[in-house]
Amino acid sequence: MRIVEGLKYSKDHEWVKVEGNRATIGITDYAQHSLGDIVFVELPEVGDHIDKDQTFGVVESVKAASDIYLPVAGTVEKINEALNDEPELINTDAFENWLICVEMDDPTEVDDLMDATEYEAFCQE
Amino acid sequence: MGDLKHTVLYDNHVKAGATLVDFGGWEMPIQYPHGIVDEHLHTRIKAGIFDVSHMARFIITGKEATAFLQYVLTNNVFALDLLQAQYTMIPNKNGGAIDDAYLYRFYEDRYLLVVNAANADKDWQHLNNEIKAFDAQITDQSAELAMISLQGPEAKNILKKLTGSEFLTEPLKNALGILNYHGAPLLIARTGYTGEPLGFELFAKAEQSPEIWEKLLGLGAMAVGLGARDTLRLEAGLPLYGHELGLDSEGQEIPIFSCPLAKFAVSFAEDKGNYLGRAPLREQYCGFKSIMERDFSDLSKLPRIVRSLAITGKGVARAGCKVFKDGREVGVITSATMVPYLKAEGYGLDSKITDEKAMRGIGLALLDGDVEINDPVEVEIRNKRVAAVIVPYHLKSDAPPYARPILYGVEVTRQFESAANYPGKALNLLKKSLDNTHHRQYETINLIPSEQAHSPAVRLLSVMDPSFRYAEHKKTKSFYDYDVFYYQGTAFIDEIEYLLMEEFKQYFNCAEVETRVISGQMANTAVFSALMDYKNRVNRKVEAKRLGYILNNHIIRGGHLSAQPMGALHDYIAVDPRTEKTAVVNFPVEPDNLFKIDVEETKKVIATYRPELIIFGKSMVLHKEPVQEIRQFIDDQKLNAVIMYDMAHVLGLVGDHFQDPFKEGAELVTGSTHKTFFGTQRGVIAGNYDKDDYKYGLWETIETRAFPGSVSNHHLGTMLGLLMAAYEMNYFKDDYQRTVIENAKYFAKALAEAGLDVAGDPQISYTETHQVVVKVGYGIGPEVARRLEESNIIINYQATPEEEGFTASGAIRIGVAEMTRFGFTKAAFKETAELMADVILRKKAVAEDVKKLRSQFTTMKYCFDDEAIMEQLEKLKATL
Repeated sequence: MRIVEGLKYSKDHEWVKVEGNRATIGITDYAQHSLGDIVFVELPEVGDHIDKDQTFGVVESVKAASDIYLPVAGTVEKINEALNDEPELINTDAFENWLICVEMDDPTEVDDLMDATEYEAFCQE
Repeated sequence: MGDLKHTVLYDNHVKAGATLVDFGGWEMPIQYPHGIVDEHLHTRIKAGIFDVSHMARFIITGKEATAFLQYVLTNNVFALDLLQAQYTMIPNKNGGAIDDAYLYRFYEDRYLLVVNAANADKDWQHLNNEIKAFDAQITDQSAELAMISLQGPEAKNILKKLTGSEFLTEPLKNALGILNYHGAPLLIARTGYTGEPLGFELFAKAEQSPEIWEKLLGLGAMAVGLGARDTLRLEAGLPLYGHELGLDSEGQEIPIFSCPLAKFAVSFAEDKGNYLGRAPLREQYCGFKSIMERDFSDLSKLPRIVRSLAITGKGVARAGCKVFKDGREVGVITSATMVPYLKAEGYGLDSKITDEKAMRGIGLALLDGDVEINDPVEVEIRNKRVAAVIVPYHLKSDAPPYARPILYGVEVTRQFESAANYPGKALNLLKKSLDNTHHRQYETINLIPSEQAHSPAVRLLSVMDPSFRYAEHKKTKSFYDYDVFYYQGTAFIDEIEYLLMEEFKQYFNCAEVETRVISGQMANTAVFSALMDYKNRVNRKVEAKRLGYILNNHIIRGGHLSAQPMGALHDYIAVDPRTEKTAVVNFPVEPDNLFKIDVEETKKVIATYRPELIIFGKSMVLHKEPVQEIRQFIDDQKLNAVIMYDMAHVLGLVGDHFQDPFKEGAELVTGSTHKTFFGTQRGVIAGNYDKDDYKYGLWETIETRAFPGSVSNHHLGTMLGLLMAAYEMNYFKDDYQRTVIENAKYFAKALAEAGLDVAGDPQISYTETHQVVVKVGYGIGPEVARRLEESNIIINYQATPEEEGFTASGAIRIGVAEMTRFGFTKAAFKETAELMADVILRKKAVAEDVKKLRSQFTTMKYCFDDEAIMEQLEKLKATL
């Protein structure tokens, strides 16, 4: 299982890359591995506002559909269109293939998330 | 997962890094590190192995074992011959399924019933409860006997390597075999849950199974978890208990007939007697029949059935999603997901499965009976309606060794030039026909055993004047059976037909001949129709009884298509009410020579089934048929079977060099006149009944089933041509027949010397006919045949008795008759054998060598070619 230093992590196995007020969000390598072959990704529309810990989309594998939660409240700025046609990209590299970018309402919400070391420990629990 | 049960293969799964889950109380692999997609695809193109030991295995024995099983299962146990398996349901008294199951009969008096893991306790209690009323015993052997499923196109090769056994089972679905694995019996069944045309379930001693599992992996199979097991069975449209069977999403019982496999799994045979749920199942069946006949006026007997659906919009459907048609809720998805497939390129036999992966959304749904195939529907996924369509199936397995995905909307198209330039088209047609004739007559070596080139005289006569006339005629009792013709201008053809019959009587050395049938298949149809009519001659006020039992050669052992229930027998063969199968039994073959009838075993079959018709003859034929031995046996036993010999392939070999069917005791001979015989393309029926024979009435019936039963116009041109061919045959047969058989033996040896694997018995130079069979490797017959054609050698690919069907053919079939007629010498056959080995073994292209060889043999032998004949042919040609 791969964990990237310098990112923030949620208990729902999302990663968050913070650049000023903007957060890029994806699912972790641990998440893609437990989901298995990803066959479909449903993402919100650009401009949607989503509250903290609310679902913003669905990642589906052959086995099951899994909701994905936004760890920080914000407004959707960009979505990763490439995943519409090639959802399996997430399996090839979960950190490279992000899901959405949001303009955060409150950048301090990031402070509640785990860092790489904490997340590694969390996964091993 | 402390309380979960483990199969005997648990350590193998852990070692392989499987992701384990709780499945019906068992800790089972959902997937291995390769993942569901690769496990699915590997099974489809190579082979997958599945630990299915969590399913339960019950053994049923005892005096009333069969009666017990007839009572607690829906299928007909009387249909289950030794070494066969059948899909069945364990019904409750309401016509719902307690479980679905597979019943195996490896041993005469012991049945093996395999049931789902999650239902095992429930099934065990139910069966133990019901068995009390019977003198029968049930034991649970799940622990002693492990179960591994091996599925996919490589399954057969892998299993052969594992066991060292060349012969596994008959190459038919549900066939069983008992092999040996290190001193213990290894039971194998051609069954599975993937839709693969090649697949086996192995019942191994529990102690041996971890080793077997590892060996199967070593031989190229991939371990497959429950995840891909589910996608594979979904793609195959197979039901899963708890989804398509059992209770529906609202907790209501799903009627058994809602499941599309019910029609194979439920029997209403009278001999089966009463059984649990029979009456409600009968009601469901009536509802099912209405739906299939598109009568939707009353859907109360069976409101909903399971259908396949393809998702055409964006989204992944799952079990529980509602289905809508025209805005109305019509049912619910029972199973669905995205499944992978590999894209294919090209058409038909030449299509290649690429390694490009793709995914498609498919499902099964329990839908109102009036929702039909091709109906557009919508599936509700997370409150969004996504487009879908009802499809007949998602996968087809009728081109072994591969199962092929069937994608919605794919259509095969061919080019058609619709421009109205008819003079141009006409000229083009003439040019192309000239090219084709030139190619096949001067440039190719033609080795298809069912083909024969015709002499110039035969060819020319076939297009002469009577070829567009009519000459219907019928024997009339008032005129002492003198033939009455219905048209004028028939004197010429009347004489021709009379002469033709006389020539054939001489050729066969028999009493009667009917020459109006225009093909070998029609000859058989006329005979079968006549036999059935004759059987019912005493009482015509009731529906005519069909024929049964019939003894014939099974198609996989070379039997003629025209003597099979799927061929010319179709409308004349009875269904045995006890087994609900067509009343056909097959000639047993010798264990070490599958091309040859086993006479002693055949006698046992005859004694058991007392067939009313015995049909000798094959299209893959290397041996004489034991007509004399079987005639002797029939007469000794005072049985009243009609012995018929369909000689289509060997019609031109009748006589001292091969077989004399009537002398040996056949009553009827049928055949096509253009394989080893000299043409034209027609059929013939010969009989050996004297006018005072009590069976002469049968012969008269054959004549009326030829005309007016089969033909009105009997194609007078080819009849005229056939008379010339009969002259040629009666004049040249001794030399021709001897040379053909000599050439076949010589060619077979030359092919073997060239390094090819020639089938048959080397002691007799492999063949006693005009045919040679060469094994080229499992499944590659079609490819080898194509390569040979590219090198101007025309043969046909052929499934051997071990193979599943024509697409899996591992052999080619060769005949020497046509090239013998063109005067091919031994040296020419030797050279052909070497060229064939170059193409088959070394993938060389040898078209130019073939053309050169063929160009030396373009003049037809065994025909009349003196000056007077040639002069007369020119005059005939000038009339065109």
